[in-house]
Amino acid sequence: MKRRQVLAAGAACCASLLARSAGAQAMHYAAPERFGRPDIASDEGGLWALMDREEKGLRRSPLVLRDEKLKNYVQDIACRLGSEHCPDIRVYLVRTPLFNASMAPNGMMQVWTGLLLRMENEAQLAAVLGHEIGHYLQRHSVERLRDIRSKSAFGQVLSLFGLIGAVGQIAVAASAYAYGREHEHEADRIGAVLMHRAGYDVAEAAKVWNNLLKEVRAREGKEPEQTAPLFASHPAPPERRDILGQIAAAMPGGSRGDDAYRRHVAAHLDEWLQDEVKRGQYAESLALISRQIGSGFAPGLMSYYRGEVYRLRAEPGDQDLALADYRLAAQMPDPPAVAFRGIGLICRQQGQNGEAVQGFRRYLELAPAAPDAAFIQSYLAELGS
Amino acid sequence: MNRLLPILLVLFLAGCGTVRKMESGSHTIGERLAVSIDGSWNHLDFPGIKPAQVWTMEGIAVDELLIYSGIKDGQMMHAEGSAGGKQQNFVFRSTMQTEAIVAMLEGVMSRDNSVFKLTRLEPYRFGGRQGFRFEYEHIRKVDNVQLLGVGFGAVDRGELFALIYHAPRLTFFPRHRAQVEAMAKAAVIR
Ligand SMILES: [Zn+2]
Repeated sequence: MKRRQVLAAGAACCASLLARSAGAQAMHYAAPERFGRPDIASDEGGLWALMDREEKGLRRSPLVLRDEKLKNYVQDIACRLGSEHCPDIRVYLVRTPLFNASMAPNGMMQVWTGLLLRMENEAQLAAVLGHEIGHYLQRHSVERLRDIRSKSAFGQVLSLFGLIGAVGQIAVAASAYAYGREHEHEADRIGAVLMHRAGYDVAEAAKVWNNLLKEVRAREGKEPEQTAPLFASHPAPPERRDILGQIAAAMPGGSRGDDAYRRHVAAHLDEWLQDEVKRGQYAESLALISRQIGSGFAPGLMSYYRGEVYRLRAEPGDQDLALADYRLAAQMPDPPAVAFRGIGLICRQQGQNGEAVQGFRRYLELAPAAPDAAFIQSYLAELGS
Repeated sequence: MNRLLPILLVLFLAGCGTVRKMESGSHTIGERLAVSIDGSWNHLDFPGIKPAQVWTMEGIAVDELLIYSGIKDGQMMHAEGSAGGKQQNFVFRSTMQTEAIVAMLEGVMSRDNSVFKLTRLEPYRFGGRQGFRFEYEHIRKVDNVQLLGVGFGAVDRGELFALIYHAPRLTFFPRHRAQVEAMAKAAVIR
């Protein structure tokens, strides 16, 4: 406690000095040369082989997005950040509704769609990719592997799985372990300078953490560390946000790329929001969606899905909130057809049969081949229409 | 239950789970659901599986038939923490509309971050009650296998009854689908 107070006081007194030195330190970062394939007999070689195998599976996975345009867009951002390491970075976009990204020592980079849904612009995505590239450039995963192997718990893992696949099991177990604090802060610093060099606004890096923090806090009674996988293995978000904020102050300027980002992900938002709502984490989803509506990101579609969250949460007052959001979405130019179904469902429950019929009819007009068309027809029949 | 796959395999290897053959004929599930089957299913039983019964034709981790019988208002649709402890719990409410029940079932089947896509929802008489039937596509996160599924359900006296079957889409789903449809058609809620 005492130590923490001293540190806090120091941080307050020297914030600007720290920021300048953190910034200056980061500015001078020199990336290592491109990595060659390590000897297969070494621990690092074993780790690569394991990751190669995982990547082979990933290439065939139906969960990997086949949108080449979006993939190339993200790959290009990673390339601008990684510069001379670009040829070694291979991006895979994976359909999983959680905030997560990772980069393996063999160059395989996975970005989950739950992360993409949470980004407001290209600079924020660059912040996460830059951070992962930072781990990669400093070969943190190899250090982590060696660190864990030296710990006694590993004797048990080895005896469980035998000698066959021992390296693989260590690597698998290692990846479940957290990177150390120092690794995380180093990756943040490197990520920031890579962002700055690639022309991005570094201030967006702090916003990523701030946004996520808000979302997790929205869920009552849960500490941030216990939820998103990225939190499980990373220092506390407030600390990261603050340090990144200091670094950003030393590296002003750069672009955010709002329009480019939104244009590239637009075609997927519907699917990602569906996946998000299915998590049943209503408080988190409401924080996320309200934030994106506030930033002017696809307000029609986002409003519809916020309505869905309210409808499914079904707490007192939620029906009215859902209806208001469905109506908002329905009034947008080029409204989502499902917004009218939402109006129909709520109005039917509230006994406003005329408006329910109107909503259902409009829905079927706009989406005659909807999966639930037969069910909606049965509602119309029941409502005497 | 696919989300339990790793735990399940370990349990079976360790001998904690049991498999019971369900022979052709009539069976009562829970207190009020009667189904009759043609051909033999395997009834899997292991800790943490309730309140569903899980049956399989082809074997564990291949296809599964989930049977919910008499789920009460406020009852959880799965064992607590069965997807690793960080996922949302899904609770049945007898006031739920059909769409909300189907959304809840989608949520239950996506708890392990599997992908679920509803492809059809229609009215259906299940167990002699006005209910629903749905079809879906499913990508299982743990092994990336693409599955097809079909589900049937109805609420009676405030309790939920449902049959849900999914299997790998190319061979096993087409092979067993007709049998599951027949089972749903002949199901009786007493
Ligand atoms: Zn990290």
